[in-house]
Amino acid sequence: MSVLGEPAVSLEEVAFLILAAVGLFTAVSALLVRELVHTIMWIALFFVDISAIYFLLNAPFLGVLQLGVYAGAVTVLLLFGVMLTRKQIFSREATTGIAPAPLALAVVTFIFVVTAVGELPQSDQTVHSYDPTLLSQNLFNVNGPWLLLLGLLMLGAVAGSIYLVREGRE
Amino acid sequence: MTALPLAGFVALSSALFAVGLFGILTRRNFILVLIAIEIAMNAAILNFVYFGAFASGPGGLTGGAIAVVLIGFAATEVAVGLAIVLALNRLKGTINVAQANELKL
Repeated sequence: MSVLGEPAVSLEEVAFLILAAVGLFTAVSALLVRELVHTIMWIALFFVDISAIYFLLNAPFLGVLQLGVYAGAVTVLLLFGVMLTRKQIFSREATTGIAPAPLALAVVTFIFVVTAVGELPQSDQTVHSYDPTLLSQNLFNVNGPWLLLLGLLMLGAVAGSIYLVREGRE
Repeated sequence: MTALPLAGFVALSSALFAVGLFGILTRRNFILVLIAIEIAMNAAILNFVYFGAFASGPGGLTGGAIAVVLIGFAATEVAVGLAIVLALNRLKGTINVAQANELKL
């Protein structure tokens, strides 16, 4: 308890508000900038921001996974996609503007989901942490089939990707 | 142990999902569509993680486990999407989704 008394908002809430603002800003910027490479830089920032939110939620394993898979692998994959499909990497997209109908649909979706907040149980209970040991035990016992399914799906994806880009098909 | 508002998380992930949906519907470049899908997918995974974090008992861990599997799903999906981008680029010379009007690659 400090001399100034209990602060109105906790440090975690301030951190969450900052991270949420940064996440929204980077997501919107990624879709609105016209250089495709700048888009990928914004999306990398977005992934790092989401990973910080996982750390805030006491889920360090998920945060590290998000950093490795998304901020590392997916970003580089997208960058390769840009490099392999254009002659000049830095070139502007034709602007598509903000179409009213998709914007309206997105706003309606947002409102529809946010109204569900009222239906939620008003939980002021504390966040429990994702202990990596317990999480891995859960992953290999109760949710083991899903992990196996993920492995099978990745195998199928590898085969399908090679089939799609193989040489000599016209 | 932190005390975070659940409503704030729901608002954040639904806003991110709306941004992703908007991107999927409006962008014409295939790579931008993939990025928009990733934004929406991240919003969904975030939902699993914090609903799991606010749940008590063993159900809480399931949220984290599903998030792990979903992160793998999303990475796989980007890899296949990129293969489609490359095939489309070789076949049509462009990665504009408006010109990918045949199912045959």
